[in-house]
Amino acid sequence: MTALLEMQGIRKRFGELVALDGVDLSVEERDVHALLGENGAGKSTLMNVLYGLYAPDGGRILLRGEDARIGGPRDAIARGIGMIHQHFMLIPPLTVTENVVLGDERTGALLDRRVIRERVRELQSRFGIEVDPDARVEDLPLGLQQRVEILKVLYRGSDLLVFDEPTAVLTPQEVDELFAIVRTLREQGKTVILITHKLREVFAVTDRITVLRLGRNAGSLVTSATTAGEIARLMVGRELRELRPRATAGSRDVVLEVTGLGALSDRGTPALLDVGLTVHAGEVLGIAGIGGNGQSELAECIMGLRRPTAGDMRIGGADVSRDGPRRTRAGGVCYVPEDRRREGLVLAFTVADNLILGKQAGPPYATFGVLDPQVIEREGALLAREFDVRPPNPLAIAGNLSGGNQQKVVLGRELSSSPRLIVVSQPSRGLDIAATEYVHDRLLEQRARGAAILLISSELDEIRALSDRIAVMYEGRIVATLPAAEATEERLGLLMAGHESAGAA
Amino acid sequence: MSGGAPTATGPGPGGPAPSVRQPAMQWATGPAVPVISVIVALLLGAVFVAATGNDPIAAYAALARGAFGTPYDITETLVSAIPLVLTGLSVAVAFRTGLFNIGAEGQLLVGALAAGAVGARFAELPGPLLMPLVILAGILAGAGYGAIAGVLKAARGVNEVITTIMLNYIVVFVMHWLLQSGPMTAPSALGTPASARIGDGAILPVILPNELVPLSRLHAGILLAALAVAVFWFLLWRTSLGYELRAVGLGARAAAQAGIDPARRMALVMAIAGAFAGLAGMIQVSGVFQRVFDGFSSGYGFDAIAVALLGKNSPLGIVAAALLFGAFAHGGAIMQSNAGISSHLVSIIQALVLFVIAAEAIVRGIAGRSRRGRKPVEAIA
Repeated sequence: MTALLEMQGIRKRFGELVALDGVDLSVEERDVHALLGENGAGKSTLMNVLYGLYAPDGGRILLRGEDARIGGPRDAIARGIGMIHQHFMLIPPLTVTENVVLGDERTGALLDRRVIRERVRELQSRFGIEVDPDARVEDLPLGLQQRVEILKVLYRGSDLLVFDEPTAVLTPQEVDELFAIVRTLREQGKTVILITHKLREVFAVTDRITVLRLGRNAGSLVTSATTAGEIARLMVGRELRELRPRATAGSRDVVLEVTGLGALSDRGTPALLDVGLTVHAGEVLGIAGIGGNGQSELAECIMGLRRPTAGDMRIGGADVSRDGPRRTRAGGVCYVPEDRRREGLVLAFTVADNLILGKQAGPPYATFGVLDPQVIEREGALLAREFDVRPPNPLAIAGNLSGGNQQKVVLGRELSSSPRLIVVSQPSRGLDIAATEYVHDRLLEQRARGAAILLISSELDEIRALSDRIAVMYEGRIVATLPAAEATEERLGLLMAGHESAGAA
Repeated sequence: MSGGAPTATGPGPGGPAPSVRQPAMQWATGPAVPVISVIVALLLGAVFVAATGNDPIAAYAALARGAFGTPYDITETLVSAIPLVLTGLSVAVAFRTGLFNIGAEGQLLVGALAAGAVGARFAELPGPLLMPLVILAGILAGAGYGAIAGVLKAARGVNEVITTIMLNYIVVFVMHWLLQSGPMTAPSALGTPASARIGDGAILPVILPNELVPLSRLHAGILLAALAVAVFWFLLWRTSLGYELRAVGLGARAAAQAGIDPARRMALVMAIAGAFAGLAGMIQVSGVFQRVFDGFSSGYGFDAIAVALLGKNSPLGIVAAALLFGAFAHGGAIMQSNAGISSHLVSIIQALVLFVIAAEAIVRGIAGRSRRGRKPVEAIA
């Protein structure tokens, strides 16, 4: 049997960087094929080659055994390849149907709405994709927007659908629904490539697996005949360690106490409503929730970056409701912001300069307002080594580091001052397994030291792995706070989706 | 462009994060781009000269001879470059903080008015007393005028481009009134409204003896300019404040979350920018004209934008660019009188230099965007 898709010996380099070094990929028809690997392993590059976005420097692509030259997305679409991007390429004010037909070559200048609607409905019933064809995309939650993307690709007649990290923005329930759709696609004769780095998803829905590491093939597996451990080993190139069981937090002093907190979003709409929480020394309080439910505003209020409209905040008993970021930080609070490229770092600065951000005005880095470049460089080198920044060069430009190393720079700056409260937002976003592990270790180390940690994350695995207690935010409120032991994935998922009753169970 | 993987962030295809594309960084990547810009501008300018029926090579030869042909010409080129260095620093320090100071011209004029007023009012004071007073007057007046735009920006978010442009107009008309019928009016042989001559103690001496370069006007203002360049460098790269200014310019959000208030730094930097430009005005009064008059500045504050851009907002780059523009200014005048080619050619070349620099930035911007556009950026918050 010939495979539907054969990519053989694909090579691609960007300047000095070899992104793909002779990668093979073979996908059988009617399979769900997982393309696995850490960030930077070459998954997306490979798929961009397939989709015609990059011209490969070597290798060839066979579709149904025939040599296929794919010069661009147009070629790819014509050959039945469809891509569901991680970030939706939709036009928010248009309806679902309009988005589905948009850009389709066959539509021509005139739209026969009736015919189109009929076609879209047909696709929906065949593949079990439920979404109101007349709804405006901007009114739909992300899970449904993704279905519009899938419809779009099907409408163009794709037989091979590539999903690029499709679950990153979904709730657990939405993930389940997505996988149901993927299974229907397979039943209906479609072939699916799923780019991911989440092992759970691989076992939930895929048939075969190709693992990439550092731009090369690390292994090809049949899902039913492998284990999570084996896959992880192939991805990382070594054994992963289990998160060690943690000593229960000796819930001691209250470090952060927030009561009745209210705040507005940037657009002036209410973002926080009557938020109350406490974090104790040596405790991690996880804030779970889908992004955009007030988590960012909560972190900004605590750090003094956003003025609350109601309520108060105490740190170590002292009222900090009106403090700006400088005073808040002076009180022993540090912050790992969610957007490390824009908030965490000055990308154009060197690593050493980034490591003194916020500490630039005083000793040891400055005397009477005059900087001491030697001290800055020396301390930068020490911290870069201590926090395993690679390369450990204090004069490297921060923007040239990988995401994981950028995050290490942020951690190095924030954690080195022995804070009593740490506010961390999405600390492992965009990081690969090894870097995530590193970040988690460092946070637990701080917890063991007695720091109070407020952990905001939309990754449930992360929340559950690190938290002692878990609060769920939904539409600006904390809808429930649970001890970690009681926070099952299902219950958290329901709470995150706004089913408040799940908290009372 | 070589190097990094062609996406912005996140789980990019194939490895390390790409290099950053910050405007300030582009201009800090070496002198190749500005030098090429100037060469391209000169070549394009040659087309214009040829189109007017003149010989481009002869024109450029006359221009170069005019600027550097004799020791006297060299000193005149330097005299023209001095105010450009200072106004260039003014634009650059604001730019480093992420602001566009289009108001160097107005700040220069305010500094000149203050220096002229103080220099004339206290004309009897001895030099060691009067000179510091005049310098201070120029610097403080410029700083105060710059601070208006800065405070408006900080307190109300008013775009500094608009306010500085408007403030330029205000000072031009106030100056006209002051000199024509206001308190600074003085009888003048210039034929235009002018102020009284400043006292001898307020005059910056010529630093080259007449026997060495006869008739040279090269004055001690060049030392002040050199000092200002050093201050600019030290402030930005060796002080906490300068670090904060650069942090605000390159990453305002990161600076803000670290406790550096961008609004305050912006207000402050506009005052600093005004101080540099005000000093330029003072130097023109004390070193060159010895009074203030209508039409006092030949647009130094505007040429300064080109100087800062061409000089990549770096100290030595600004000096080099100011020398080039100074050479254009003086050499252009000589070229016109000796070779009969309009000195407007110089304006054309200056405009072309700017155009080429801007085009380069546009090209890079487009390249960066289309590469970014291929893959979406970062998980949704």
